[in-house]
Amino acid sequence: MNQFVLQHGKSAELRLFPHILEVGIKKNGSIQLNTFLTTAAEGLRIYCIMEGRFEWCIDQQPYILYPGDTALILPDVPLGSDNSVLDIGAFAWIHIDMEKQDNGQIHPGKWSGLSDSEGAAIWNLISLNGTPVLSRFSEAGKIIKCIYAELFGQEIGYQARVNHQVDELLIQVTRHMTKQGHSGRDFPKTFMHLEEVLRRNLSHQWTVEEMAALVGLGTTLFNERVKSYSGFSPINYLINIRISEAIRLLKQPDISVTDIALDTGFYSSQHFSTTFKKLTGYKPSEFRKNHLSNK
Amino acid sequence: MQCIITIELGTNGVRVFAFDLEGRVIGSMKGYHPTFHTEPDYSEQDPEQIFITTLYLLKNLLNEYVHPKKYKVASICFCASMHSVLAVDRNGNPLGNAITWADNRARQEAQELRSSAVGKALYAATGTPIHPMSPLLKIAWIGHHDQERFRLTAKFLSIKSYIIHQLTGEYMTDYSIASATGLMNIHSIAWEPDALQYAGITADKLPDATPVFAAAGRLKKAYQQSLNLPAETKILIGSSDGCMATLGDGVLGEGKATITIEDSGAVRVMGPTVLKDEQMRFFNYLLTEDCYVSGGPTNNGGNIFEWFTRQFGDFSHPYDMESSMQQLIEEASKVPAGSDGLLFLPYLLGERAPIWNADARGAYFGLNIKHERQHFVRATIEGILYEMYSIGKILGEQRNIKSLSVNGTFGVIPFWTQMMADMFNRPVRTRQRSHSVSFGAFLVSATEMGIYKSLDEAARTVELPDVYRPDKQRHAIYADYFNVFEKLSARLTDEFEAISALQRKHALPQPSLTPIKN
Repeated sequence: MNQFVLQHGKSAELRLFPHILEVGIKKNGSIQLNTFLTTAAEGLRIYCIMEGRFEWCIDQQPYILYPGDTALILPDVPLGSDNSVLDIGAFAWIHIDMEKQDNGQIHPGKWSGLSDSEGAAIWNLISLNGTPVLSRFSEAGKIIKCIYAELFGQEIGYQARVNHQVDELLIQVTRHMTKQGHSGRDFPKTFMHLEEVLRRNLSHQWTVEEMAALVGLGTTLFNERVKSYSGFSPINYLINIRISEAIRLLKQPDISVTDIALDTGFYSSQHFSTTFKKLTGYKPSEFRKNHLSNK
Repeated sequence: MQCIITIELGTNGVRVFAFDLEGRVIGSMKGYHPTFHTEPDYSEQDPEQIFITTLYLLKNLLNEYVHPKKYKVASICFCASMHSVLAVDRNGNPLGNAITWADNRARQEAQELRSSAVGKALYAATGTPIHPMSPLLKIAWIGHHDQERFRLTAKFLSIKSYIIHQLTGEYMTDYSIASATGLMNIHSIAWEPDALQYAGITADKLPDATPVFAAAGRLKKAYQQSLNLPAETKILIGSSDGCMATLGDGVLGEGKATITIEDSGAVRVMGPTVLKDEQMRFFNYLLTEDCYVSGGPTNNGGNIFEWFTRQFGDFSHPYDMESSMQQLIEEASKVPAGSDGLLFLPYLLGERAPIWNADARGAYFGLNIKHERQHFVRATIEGILYEMYSIGKILGEQRNIKSLSVNGTFGVIPFWTQMMADMFNRPVRTRQRSHSVSFGAFLVSATEMGIYKSLDEAARTVELPDVYRPDKQRHAIYADYFNVFEKLSARLTDEFEAISALQRKHALPQPSLTPIKN
C-alpha cells in the first residue's frame, strides 16, 4: 500500500465527507528531523502504528509505540516528538470532526449511524479514558486501509461504506479501550476503577450503558455483576456515592446547597432535596444546620 | 409479632438481618462500600458512605420484610469490625476518612513498641496485640504525623460509634470494640492510663464504654419518621464481629473453639480467663465483664484462594469468581491429601498469628517433576488451612479443644470444612446458609429482652447441624507434612526479611492516577 494524505478542503476525495478532516498513511524509511511537529487539533485523531518504533509525546507525556499500538488524541491535546524527529516505520491515521449538539452533548454527526445517546456515550467514554495508547489493536489500521480503498475506488455505495467504516472505527476503539485492563478475572479491581471514575466525575449524568461500557461490559452482565457484588443496582450505587459526597460537602459551610446539588450530579436542587430527604430523613439545609452548630 | 434487627458493619460492607424471636431469618440484605488505598500502607473508608449504606439497607429491609408483615421492631443491635479509628471534630464531623483494621501506616510505631518493656506491659493490660492494626498505634501515628488533625480531634471514634452518633447523637462504644483498641484495661475494664499516655490523649477523647447490652440512645426524630419506627425502638450498642461470630456459634464453654475464614481468618475460644502469652501472640477481647474471647488472627484466609483463582482459574464467564473457584476445588479434590508433598506457605499479606511477621512472604516448597497443576490448587488450600491449624495448635497448649465449629464464607465450603476436621483430628460443626456474626447479635438482643437468662444460656441453645468427622489416615498425612510447614515458617525468618526488603527496594513507584479531562 502506498503513502497518501487527504485533507478536508484540499482533496476532492473528501468532498462528500466533511467530518473526515484528514486521513493518511505514512511510510518513513529514514529518521527525519523537524518533520513531526507538535500539533494540537480540534477533532479526534487516531494513529495506528503498522511498522517500526515511534517515540512520541502525547499531552507532554512520553510514550513508545510499537506495531499494533493505537494512539487516541483528544481535541486540543498536543502530539509530537522530541526535536520533532520522525522515527523509521509506518503508520496510518485519521482525523475526525465531532459535532457539538444543542443539548451540549458531543456526537460524531448526522452522517453517523450511531443514535444520539450511543454517539454521546462513545464520546464520553473516549474523553474519560485515562491512557491515550491502546495496545494490540491493529484493527484500527485495517479500518483506515479500508477507508482508503473505498475513497480511491469510488465503487457503488462507497459513501455509505466509508461512513460505516468510520463508525466501526469509533465503536472498536471504544470497546477495545474499555476492555483494556479488565481481564474478566478481578471484579473488585474493575469495580474500584468504576468507583474512582464515578467519584471524579460525579457531576456527569451517568447512564447505565456508559457505566457498563466504561468497564468493557454489556449492560445485562454489568447489572448482574454489580448487583451481586455490591448489593445495589448501578444507579442506586451511584446515588449512594452522590449522597455520601453531598453529606461531606454539607458539613463545609462555604459551598451553597445548589452548588452541592450540581457538583454531585443532581440536575436541580429540588431533585437533590427530594432524594436526600428520602434517604436521610432531612432536607439538605436542615442537615447542614444540625451539623454546623456547636454543641 | 416482634422482630429483632441486626446491623453488621463489616470490612467490605454492611449486612442487615431481621430475625423473628425464635432466631429464624425473616429477611436480609447486604451493601458494599469501598476501601481506599491512597498510599501503599493506607486502608481507609468513607464514613458518610458507610452511614448512607446503612440507612439505605435498613430502610429497604424494613419496607420489604418488616413493615408489610406488621412486625414490631423490638431492638436494633449493632456489631462491627474491630480496630477502626475515625477522628471527629467538636461538631462530630469527620476529620478525614475512617482508618480500618487493615491499615499499616503505624508500622514503625508498632515495631518499636512491640520490642519494648512498655509494649509488653500494655499487651498484658489491654489484651490487644501490639500491631499497626491497633487503634492505640494509629492514634499515636496521627499524633506524630498529622498534628493538625490530632489537634482538631474532639473524639477518636470507631466506625460503629460514628454510625450510632449519627443515628442517636450519643458518643458510645461497647466493651468488645473498646477492648480491641489497645487502650482499655481488660482486667479493670477502664481506659488504661499508660496506654492513653502512650497515645498522647486523655480519656475524654474517647467515647463512653458500656456493656454490649446497653441502649445507645434514641433514634433521632427524622430517622423515626423516615424509617417508620417508634421512638421507643431500642438501639443496642452490641459487640464486635469476632465476638459475635464466636457467640453465634455457641462456643461458650469448656473444650470448644471456633474457626472463622472470610478474607482473613481467626481461631477463637471463649471463657472466663484470658490467654497469657510471653510471645504476645494472642488477643483477649471482652464480650462481657466476665467473658473473654481469645485467639489468634491470620491475614491470609479466603483472599489468598481468591488471588490464586484470579491467576489460574478458568474464567470462561467474565468475573464469575464463584464457578471458577468451584472448578478449582473440584480439581483439588482429585489430588490425595498432602498434595503428594507439595507445600504452600500462604503469607502473601505478611502474617499475624502465630508468627507475627509483616515481612513473611508466600512460597511453594517440595516441588518434584511429578507435580501437576492440580497439585498447586490443593496445596494452596492446604497451606491456608495449615496456617489455621498452626494457630489452633498454640491455643491447644492452653485450652483443651475437644470440638470445633467453623464459619465464614470460605470456612463453610464442604471441602475446606472436611480438611479442617482432618487436620485438627476433631469433629467440626457448621451451619450452611447462616451468618454467625448476625446470629450472635440476635442472641445479644434476645438476651437483653429476657428471652434467655444469660449469654451463657443463649449460647447453649445454638445448634450446628452439619458435622464433619476426621479421617485417621488423612490426619496422619497432614500431621507429617505440617511438621515441615511449621519448621519452614520459623526457619525462613531471615529470608523473609531479606526478600521483603528487596521487594521494597526494587518496587517501582505506584503509577499515579492519570487525570481525567471533561
